[in-house]
Amino acid sequence: MRMPSKNSTLLDEDVMEDDEIEGEAYESDTESEEEDEEEEGDVKLMEPKKDSVYDRDGLGDKLQDIRWPENAGWIHKLSIDVNQEQEVDVNDDLHREAAFYRQALEGTRQAFEKLQSMKLPFLRPPDYYAEMVKSDAHMEKVRGRFLAEKRSREEADERRKAREAKKLAKEVQAQKLKERAKQKKEEIESVKKWRKQRQQSGFAGGDKGSEMDFAFEDGKSFERSNKKRPGAAPGDRSGGKARQGGKGKKGLENKQKNREFKNSKFGHGGRKGLRKQNTAETTDHFKAFNKGGGPGNNKRKR
Amino acid sequence: MGKKRKHSETVVPAPKEDTAPERPKRTIMGWKDKTQVKEQTDSAVFRNKEKILVTCSRRISYRYRHLMLNVVSLLPHCKKDNKVESKSSKGATLNELVELKSCSSCLFFECRKRSDLYLWMAKSPSGPSVKFLVNAVHTMEELKLSGNHLKGSRPLLTFSANFDNDAHWKLIKEIIIQIFGTPKEHRKSKPYHDHVFAFSILDDHIWFRNYQIDVPHNESDKLARGGLDKMTLVEVGPRFCLNPIKIFGGSFGGPTLYENPFYVSPNQIRALEKKQKAGKYAKKVKAKTRRKMHELENPLEPDEFADMWKE
Repeated sequence: MRMPSKNSTLLDEDVMEDDEIEGEAYESDTESEEEDEEEEGDVKLMEPKKDSVYDRDGLGDKLQDIRWPENAGWIHKLSIDVNQEQEVDVNDDLHREAAFYRQALEGTRQAFEKLQSMKLPFLRPPDYYAEMVKSDAHMEKVRGRFLAEKRSREEADERRKAREAKKLAKEVQAQKLKERAKQKKEEIESVKKWRKQRQQSGFAGGDKGSEMDFAFEDGKSFERSNKKRPGAAPGDRSGGKARQGGKGKKGLENKQKNREFKNSKFGHGGRKGLRKQNTAETTDHFKAFNKGGGPGNNKRKR
Repeated sequence: MGKKRKHSETVVPAPKEDTAPERPKRTIMGWKDKTQVKEQTDSAVFRNKEKILVTCSRRISYRYRHLMLNVVSLLPHCKKDNKVESKSSKGATLNELVELKSCSSCLFFECRKRSDLYLWMAKSPSGPSVKFLVNAVHTMEELKLSGNHLKGSRPLLTFSANFDNDAHWKLIKEIIIQIFGTPKEHRKSKPYHDHVFAFSILDDHIWFRNYQIDVPHNESDKLARGGLDKMTLVEVGPRFCLNPIKIFGGSFGGPTLYENPFYVSPNQIRALEKKQKAGKYAKKVKAKTRRKMHELENPLEPDEFADMWKE
């Protein structure tokens, strides 16, 4: 189990999760009898082999053999040793990489100070152009990916913001409606109060005729009135004939009335479909009920 | 120290320098020869003539081949050679090749079963050589690694302090310094230092990282005030993790000087995994039989109400 976890890469969290799942499954497996066997296999990895060779003198001799002479200066090696401050968990990718980064940064700082004290040039001037390790085409790709990532991140941000704004707007709208209802109620209330006061104070024209009757006092102000609309079908919202109420001279008036009635019956506006349906009145209305024959015969009789 | 020096780092005595004087450096103002005089006064001038043969085994997978090519691009003092058949006699072949190419050390990428990569670092001709298992490979081509640096500029090598803890780590460090450090004034190397290698030991593995150094500055060698504090690093790649397996006395062979006691070969790991998977079925069968035996051993008592409603 130890080795495969080494392979887990820096940013592959999925892989890590998979490992964990496997690990859990593995643990649950080991609960049964065969625990001992599998444990043995695991311990083998952790415990050092006893017969492994370690020839310290031989290693030392070899080191002396291949080592550069003492007078070879630091400039040939360019190597820096950096102390690690704390132990890092290998499987914690983020911390591990940060430790490497810190080591490299610290080493570079020390090396640069050394180089600076030797008065050697070590920084590339901005006008020094030469072949790079990665080609321009590759760097273009890297940049493209970076930009794409940035764009997608921004888009996601925007989407999230829009979502939140929508939520907020809903709340605001609800608040507004509530406020409106409240205001209306208050106004009605105030009018009632005012009327009461007026009655109590014995206003001069306190009789029925002069009393103002507000329809909205019942709170039903916006419901449609139950008045019949002559010549309008049940679904018709044009208002029927009554709305188009006529004025004018007698002769013309009659003619126009007719026209208006026809208009309200056949003209524009309103659903025509419902005209053919029975309403409460027409069900009891036997006047036009043809008792005789079917529609086919009807024509012939005439 | 210093019993024998067969290898490439030669100590050139001063009189030899006189016979073939180097050309003085040319500057805009004319010939610059003051430093030349100064150098000659040193009794013996060290010159690093390291040359590395980089090659790989046949049937290497593309990912590992790319890693090798990345390493080649990082080492201007290396020679890439054809693939070598990974047989038991490869050591002799490789030694011959190294000699033929007049190299002083060798990096050999050996791929086995198209999945496991071993890296040999060998000093030639008298050794030592180290065999590593390579893990966690990321090549330079990966787009997450966004740094870039001059091809052939000399890298700074940083080592974590625990390289000095043990004899084998010390030896490995020396080998790494000689192989991965670009020789000073190598003809393919470029001036300036704009990248840094980080080698660090974590959990008995050597982790390799390559960073680009990014320092805000206006002139070539003058740091802006506080420039060192503003320095940032950008990773260039490649990344890999080396698990030392063995250190041999000779190059590609010879007496074993060190053996990693914790090392388990990937083959063994795979076998173990397979065994675990195989155990699943065996366990099921075993459980079944056990259940059966249990049922046989403890039969249910006959139910006294069983026939109650039968009439």
